[in-house]
Amino acid sequence: MPAQNNVCPTVPQRDINRLLSEHGVSSRDRLRTALEHREPDRIPLDFGSTAVTGVHASCVAALRRYYGLSPGPVKVHEPYQMLGLVEDDLRAAMGLDVTGVFPRKTMFGSSATDWKEWNFRGLDVLVPTDFRIRTEPNGDILIYPEGDEMAAPSGRMPMGSAFFDTIVRQPEIDDEKLDPADNLEEFGPISAEDLDHIERSVRTAGRSGYGVAASFGGTAFGDIALVPAPFLKSPKGIRDVSEWYISTRTRRSYIHSIFERQCEIGIGNLARIHARIGDAVACVFLCGTDFGTQTSSFCSVATFRELWFPYYKRVNDWVHANTAWKCFKHSCGSVERFFESFIEAGFDIINPVQCSAAGMEPGELKRKYGSRLVFWGGGVDTQKTLPFGTPREVRAEVLRRCEIFAPGGGFVFNSIHNLQAGTPVENIAAMLDAVHQFNGVSHV
Amino acid sequence: MSELEKLHEAVIEGDWKAAAAATEAAIAAGVAPLTIVTGCLVPAMDEVGRRFECEEYFVPEMLLSARAMKASMQIVRPLLVATGAQPIGRVVIGTVKGDLHDIGKNLVASMLEGGGFEVIDLGADVAPERFIEAAATKNANLVALSALLTVTMTSMKTTIDAFQTAGLREKVKIMVGGAPVTQQYADAIGADGYGESAGAAVALARRLVAA
Repeated sequence: MPAQNNVCPTVPQRDINRLLSEHGVSSRDRLRTALEHREPDRIPLDFGSTAVTGVHASCVAALRRYYGLSPGPVKVHEPYQMLGLVEDDLRAAMGLDVTGVFPRKTMFGSSATDWKEWNFRGLDVLVPTDFRIRTEPNGDILIYPEGDEMAAPSGRMPMGSAFFDTIVRQPEIDDEKLDPADNLEEFGPISAEDLDHIERSVRTAGRSGYGVAASFGGTAFGDIALVPAPFLKSPKGIRDVSEWYISTRTRRSYIHSIFERQCEIGIGNLARIHARIGDAVACVFLCGTDFGTQTSSFCSVATFRELWFPYYKRVNDWVHANTAWKCFKHSCGSVERFFESFIEAGFDIINPVQCSAAGMEPGELKRKYGSRLVFWGGGVDTQKTLPFGTPREVRAEVLRRCEIFAPGGGFVFNSIHNLQAGTPVENIAAMLDAVHQFNGVSHV
Repeated sequence: MSELEKLHEAVIEGDWKAAAAATEAAIAAGVAPLTIVTGCLVPAMDEVGRRFECEEYFVPEMLLSARAMKASMQIVRPLLVATGAQPIGRVVIGTVKGDLHDIGKNLVASMLEGGGFEVIDLGADVAPERFIEAAATKNANLVALSALLTVTMTSMKTTIDAFQTAGLREKVKIMVGGAPVTQQYADAIGADGYGESAGAAVALARRLVAA
């Protein structure tokens, strides 16, 4: 954890934000301009608007200390990755432009609307009321789905880690009896309660003046983090990670049946949501299925086009035909080979732009796809530079990336995936200072 | 097609039932267990690794081939033990303390086993003392450490340091791998080698035991 004396050495960043607003361009306009591939007055910044552009709770706490904000306990709005909520005061201090709308329920199926205190290995945080855990004698923390302590735990945080991982609960598979409905338990018509929550959240976000990125859920086809269903008490179907990957090869008709039905349900839910909130959000985080590894991909382009592409296209086509939302796709790793297909499928935005992976050279990505895909990420490497580099190295990398990605718009500054636990707050501050300097406000 | 050819094809195609059947048939036909491993499973898994390296195969195909190879090894292993045949090396493998990710580690373990190594797989979230105990009791000459997270990759250094403290560092070669790991990091923490992929890990392991 950062030392207490790690505080902002210069003028508070919230003053930067105040000056930005005095220039007459709102964060919302700045984001929309960037998403439309026009060059905004400044690069918009996002940290915390989605579960893939987020900030670990320990980093939120460190940033609050750094900027001299009230040290109240951080809200862990997504316990799976232990993401801390970036509240308005911190968003202003960091000079950010985007706020998020999140689903009512977390990855462990509990509602993130009411809160209770929890001491997370020395850090006081707030967690959802239904966050129910058991600490093992060795210090591992087990978490229960839907807060039900009678159910088998669905997540584990080992000692030495700062995140939960799913406990796979795979029933015995009998291929003769496999029913796609078993893998569809989590997909259904959106509830009135969820719709009300989204409408309230969108309204609140809309009043903020920030650009709004929304996550509604339900359209992530085969996201491997969701396949084991840590939010369900007793998942059925194919829930083991390796078995799912194998099934994309050996049980393709089964997977198609799941995706087909999921697609129908997902589009129906988007229609219901749009009827309630209209075009009040700039973009929707639709899918986080990873297709890339560090050095390669999880499947060929041909497999992608046969198995995923039709469903992505139907969802994105519906969005483009009926809303003004931009379609946000997340995929880690080496995915340049899929970019033409992503574009053809209707995705407008790609995240996290993992420039450290094979074939993801930022200049080439910008040159080949910069007018057709918005790069939401790619700002700095979170595997090496940000957690382990010096502030000087962070600054140099950030400035290089801004020079590459900013021209002509189509760039939202974000690190490559969430700010991870253990990242020095001086490096996060150096990253933000560099973007603000590039944006022409570092002299403040 | 001979039974060994059928087994070779079954492993490459990832058909575990055909692999098990061909293994049984080969044994019934009098093929020596060591020949099944060195003359068939090792070259088959080498071919799988080659296809993975040149992106004809991806993770699903690797998992299927590994499953087929294991189905064969499950039949062959007891016979090998009975003959006293020695593996080309003995590897203790695991994902380091704090990290529960194991798909990459499992692929490397399978490729090593298919490459002729005896593999002692300790699973995920493995504490340094467990690596040390397994390496000592199993008389391993290689230790393979995996990590996916930047938060947990530092456990690799802790583990290597623990081998040093235990006085066992000179008795084993230690190789590391995983998404955030680089050759530079491997050098910095005093590992003997870094494998960028499952196929590269097998080649590295062979070099390390031959050194």
